[in-house]
Amino acid sequence: MRVFVMQRLTAVALVLFLTLHMIVVHYPPGHLDFSRVMERLANPVWKVIDILFLLAVLIHALTGAYAVLMDVERVTPYKRMLVGTAVLLGLIAFAYGTATILAFNTF
Amino acid sequence: MYKTTGFISFLFRRVSGMALVFYLFMHIWVIGSATGGAEAFDARMATVQAPLFRLLEVALLTAVVYHGFDGIRLLIVHWFKVTEYRKSLFYAMFVLFILVSIVGGVPLLLFALEGN
Amino acid sequence: MAKNGQTQNVTIRVQRFNPDVDAKPYLASYEIEATADTTLLDALEQIKATLDGSLTFRRSCRHAICGSCAMNVNGRNMLVCNRRVNALLDRRGRVTIRPLPYLPIIKDLVVDRTSFWEQYLRVKPWLIPPENGAAPAGEYRVLPAEVEALKMAETCIMCGACYSACQVVAMNKQYIGPHALLKAFLRVLDPRDAAPAERLEIVGGDDGVFRCHTIFNCIDACPKGLDPTFAIETLRKLAQKRLAFAAERVERQKSLGTGRDA
Repeated sequence: MRVFVMQRLTAVALVLFLTLHMIVVHYPPGHLDFSRVMERLANPVWKVIDILFLLAVLIHALTGAYAVLMDVERVTPYKRMLVGTAVLLGLIAFAYGTATILAFNTF
Repeated sequence: MYKTTGFISFLFRRVSGMALVFYLFMHIWVIGSATGGAEAFDARMATVQAPLFRLLEVALLTAVVYHGFDGIRLLIVHWFKVTEYRKSLFYAMFVLFILVSIVGGVPLLLFALEGN
Repeated sequence: MAKNGQTQNVTIRVQRFNPDVDAKPYLASYEIEATADTTLLDALEQIKATLDGSLTFRRSCRHAICGSCAMNVNGRNMLVCNRRVNALLDRRGRVTIRPLPYLPIIKDLVVDRTSFWEQYLRVKPWLIPPENGAAPAGEYRVLPAEVEALKMAETCIMCGACYSACQVVAMNKQYIGPHALLKAFLRVLDPRDAAPAERLEIVGGDDGVFRCHTIFNCIDACPKGLDPTFAIETLRKLAQKRLAFAAERVERQKSLGTGRDA
């Protein structure tokens, strides 16, 4: 149940975050360069939004992958191992991604 | 295989979902390993803007848009009693998905074909 | 298409499998004479009586209430006793009958439904009455609105059409399945039932409602027009407020068994 609730809550969040992400970062297409990213991320509000976005997308992706794997009958005995891997992978990716977002103002 | 609209939506949702998980981790790594300043970042961006990546970008867009619209459909099914209209709902979602993919994908595709 | 009384030759393709002889299932074709009223079950009976006595299938009541004869016809699960051959001819004028998919085949059209019944028992399909110690003072009076909510789940005949159409069951037999979850819905929403918390814990667990992927195959397959997906979505909401719902039930049952209305 917890996995499901996490997945649904982040799904709603992602609809908003992704629309924003697509418009702000990728529109118009092909004009992505360093200065543009810097300009946006200079604002701490954008940093917070990006970190929340990262958190939501990681939770959604990992719970989704977990659900896909748990649907395979042969995988179900390894539930605990799967949960552990997902949490670990999530923490590492979140730390790495957050460091990336924060790094965009130290130059 | 029990082929119904529900099964098709499920299949696409799974495939796009798994592709997106793979993409997400690539994305985090690609951006994360290019934080060494303007030159490093722009060099990395130039690499991933090669024509092949542009085409993959179109695929990415369709996957995201499909997964998103399908997710919205599932939220509607969860919150409202609409199981009776399940097929219409799927078709409506699919048409929206195609439209948004065209609106978003065609400029990307043109851009990919033109190069810079 | 044959009019009333007229006969027409049709081809019925039946998946055959005898575990003692065959390495794997194969399709056999039979030509039979059908009228506009011939049901698929009539056709199978005709094949068994006149063409091949070894053809094996389950059937009992012949009017869609026993739930024995669910099979996969032209790729869709249905009862064969209430469907006419005439209406199910494909473009080449044939009907293809196979056993229910994703279940072990015992012989020909008979499948092993052990997992179906095991999962059914997991949700405790019986009513658990309030433990008052003494017999109720009066009859259990249920409000019309409460009965209305249960109507949708009552008429299940346990034929297995939904269970075998479910893609999640196909992938993982540990999933409780639409038939049992529909029954759980029926019991959870019944004001006479005293164990909604326990039930919601079972259906809210790893093998329960949260594993459903909203594919709707169960609704498409149900010969009684029931809606397991709606039952599952309802149970999902209730499972998220399990204890509050159980507390409401305790309140509700205070006026139950007194012979008075709530």
